[in-house]
Amino acid sequence: MATGLTELLDNFVKTHDNRQLLALPLAVLAVSLVILLVSFVSSGSPVILGMEFQGGTQISVETTDSPAVLEKMYSSYPIIDARQTGSRVIMQFGVMDEEQQHQLETDVMDRYSSVQIQQVGPVYGQDLQVQAIKALIISFIGMAIVVFLIFRTFIPSAAVILSAFSDIMIAAAFMRVAGIELSLGTLAALLMLIGYSVDSDILLTNRVIKRRGTVEEKVSRAMHTGITMTTTTLAALAVMYLVSTFSYLVIPSFTQITLLSQISIVLIAGLFADMMNTWLLNTGILRWYVMKPEFRGRYNR
Amino acid sequence: MSDKKSLLKNPRVIIFLLLLFGSIVAIHPSYTPGEGITTNLNFGLDLEGGSWLQIKLEGALAQIDVDSGKLVSGIVEPIIGAPIEITKNSLDVGGSADKSVTFTTSAQVSASQLEALGTVSVDKLSGSKTQVTISDTSKEILVRTYLSKALDAEVVPMSTQKGIVYEIRTGVTEEQLQALLEKVGGSIHKNEDGTSTYKEGVSSETRDLTRDILNDKLNSMGLKEIPVRTVGDEYILIDFAGIDLATAKEIAEKPGKFEIRIQTTGNATEHVLYGDSIQSVGIPTYHDEQWHTPFTLKEEGARALQKIALETGAIDDPNSHYLMMYLDGVEIYGAPLSYSAASKLREGPIYSWEASTGTDEAAKTEATALQVHLRAGALPVNVQLVGSGHVDPNLGSQFKTAAVITGLISLIAVAAVVYFKYRRPEILIPMVGTSFSEVIMILGVAALIGWQLDLPAIAGIIASIGTGIDHLVIITDEVLYEGKLPPTKVFKSRIGKAFAIILGAASTNIIALSPLVVMGFGSLKGFAITTIIGVFIGVIFARPVYGVVIKEFLHVDENGNGSITE
Repeated sequence: MATGLTELLDNFVKTHDNRQLLALPLAVLAVSLVILLVSFVSSGSPVILGMEFQGGTQISVETTDSPAVLEKMYSSYPIIDARQTGSRVIMQFGVMDEEQQHQLETDVMDRYSSVQIQQVGPVYGQDLQVQAIKALIISFIGMAIVVFLIFRTFIPSAAVILSAFSDIMIAAAFMRVAGIELSLGTLAALLMLIGYSVDSDILLTNRVIKRRGTVEEKVSRAMHTGITMTTTTLAALAVMYLVSTFSYLVIPSFTQITLLSQISIVLIAGLFADMMNTWLLNTGILRWYVMKPEFRGRYNR
Repeated sequence: MSDKKSLLKNPRVIIFLLLLFGSIVAIHPSYTPGEGITTNLNFGLDLEGGSWLQIKLEGALAQIDVDSGKLVSGIVEPIIGAPIEITKNSLDVGGSADKSVTFTTSAQVSASQLEALGTVSVDKLSGSKTQVTISDTSKEILVRTYLSKALDAEVVPMSTQKGIVYEIRTGVTEEQLQALLEKVGGSIHKNEDGTSTYKEGVSSETRDLTRDILNDKLNSMGLKEIPVRTVGDEYILIDFAGIDLATAKEIAEKPGKFEIRIQTTGNATEHVLYGDSIQSVGIPTYHDEQWHTPFTLKEEGARALQKIALETGAIDDPNSHYLMMYLDGVEIYGAPLSYSAASKLREGPIYSWEASTGTDEAAKTEATALQVHLRAGALPVNVQLVGSGHVDPNLGSQFKTAAVITGLISLIAVAAVVYFKYRRPEILIPMVGTSFSEVIMILGVAALIGWQLDLPAIAGIIASIGTGIDHLVIITDEVLYEGKLPPTKVFKSRIGKAFAIILGAASTNIIALSPLVVMGFGSLKGFAITTIIGVFIGVIFARPVYGVVIKEFLHVDENGNGSITE
């Protein structure tokens, strides 16, 4: 699979000019930005904010009752949603006062087993939103500084950073479209993406501007290594996603681990975006840069 | 065989093996029949079961500008109900000597009305004119008194390098504070760059005191080892392993029972007052060659103490009537009344007390402990429950099993991809072996530093399997650039080139995740630290060894086969 994909991509890169390489990733980036912008204008946030960022209570219990039954049973509380995953039902509640909260918790604990409760106050949620934005910005700037320090030339560094930026935006737009909420888990995934997505870009740029050989050959070799890297990571993440999301279908006593499921699916989306951005967007810009006449083939020998 | 021996002589390999061995010792896996596999690893609440509470400390810090004259008018006029005219004012004079302010007014003034401001003396100058002098006072005392009365909360002035910062121990917005100060002609001080000095939250000392009081309270209930952690300056996180959420809330909200009793005859004691009679507790100070913990009593507490001191005869013979302090039935302090206090009690109740503990370091520790005990569940600041959670123990163990299975299958999946790509066991075995060792070492570090492994940390470990293998792929492809093993000299430069890429990639990984370590997301700290430790171990110890090992493995193969295909 990996080899087949590499050959396909390699051929595509060899037979198309730089402008053509940039077309697809830039179009996807543009669509993603439009999605995030529309969401921001219509709902005030580019992604769907999860319970942790808005405040509220999430209760998950082991039960044979249907979500509808539970929704009716707890209708006197501000229940927003109840859904089933395997042998469990997850209920989502809005913000309650302390007494009501206590009543609900006691009732659920008496009635059901294997209870999981998570409550976040609206104040803390607000605080988390601010911190989340800060974390993303600091993380991105930190990454950009490291990239500049490594290559010390503007265009190759900027290409790496643009590619990482695009990875994050595409992953965020994917979250919006697929209805995945921004939780602490998915935030961690986005931050991890900032770090991991530049791995293959650093490999590509390092090989092309610091090695001897024709540009075409260097890109092609970097691609063989890079695609293997991304595929191994994808394999680990795919397993993490499948086991954390669907293992209860095979072993009924297992439960969904929402946190792991969310982290892995966002990373998978981001890494697919990264393959496109590294080998089309970044490669396109880098190939144009090193073939510029003023370098007189300095990078192509 | 000779190759294996030369491998074992390589210092990098030796260090690597020692670390691996050390990690296994640190994890200490053992099997006990009936109990299953046990290890030294600590698991987080989400894997072990239990509940947690997250508390926000409400408060504000600000520097305050105020005109001392207007401040005195602003405080005194509402109390006495008449305008005043300030005749003498030394409050703005520098130096720390006792300052005073004198004013005249037409109203009747009694010294006790203004007692809180300092030492008050009242002189009736004429039928319609009274002169009042408040001495032993300062601007800080006045600001503190004004704000704490207006907000019904403790206000503590603290000297910092920038000047006096007032800690207001209740939730107050910048607008509210500014409005209060404007009433007395004051304002919140602005920094040189024009930004406000107002800051939501409390000082780190107050945060730590709150944490210590909670710790003390939970431990005094016989609940040992309930970790109380501070997150940022504003939040406190309490983990209750194996306790359900309802019980946890009950425990945290229930104050400790503090009592003062007095010795009557022999070992018999009599009740004097409970913790709710204590108004405030101060910071331990050293004076008169003794450590003291100051505290003030409320009206009824002070009267109760005076009454019982008279009844028992403690004022005549303090030494046979010790005052004893108890927290939840356990004696924590005992001392006689001082002779000066005893004689003062004859005339009236005493509100401000000091418990002296002695002269040495141990006395200082005792004074600090007493400060915590005296508060007995009464926290220094208002708190708000901002988050809580609960995981049933059986659910936690399910998560644990699922997480271990996920990790193992991930490793197998990665191995399958690597084999599919290279189709050579002499690459596959070192690669998977290195990756597996990295996981063991991360766990070893976790066991050694007592780090709690939670679900996010497990996600971090699985992620580092992914990146670890990425870096090994970079090394492998670099070494086999021409499709076969190069001569040793070229090999070394190739490894150097591979590490240039790996170090770059690793530093971006670490930088990108580091905000999560320092920022207040308690729950993602585990994830970030685990991943960062993983990257460090990988880059410093494991991956260089992989470079050495792969060379030997391929070298053997080279001799055996003579040709290599990619």
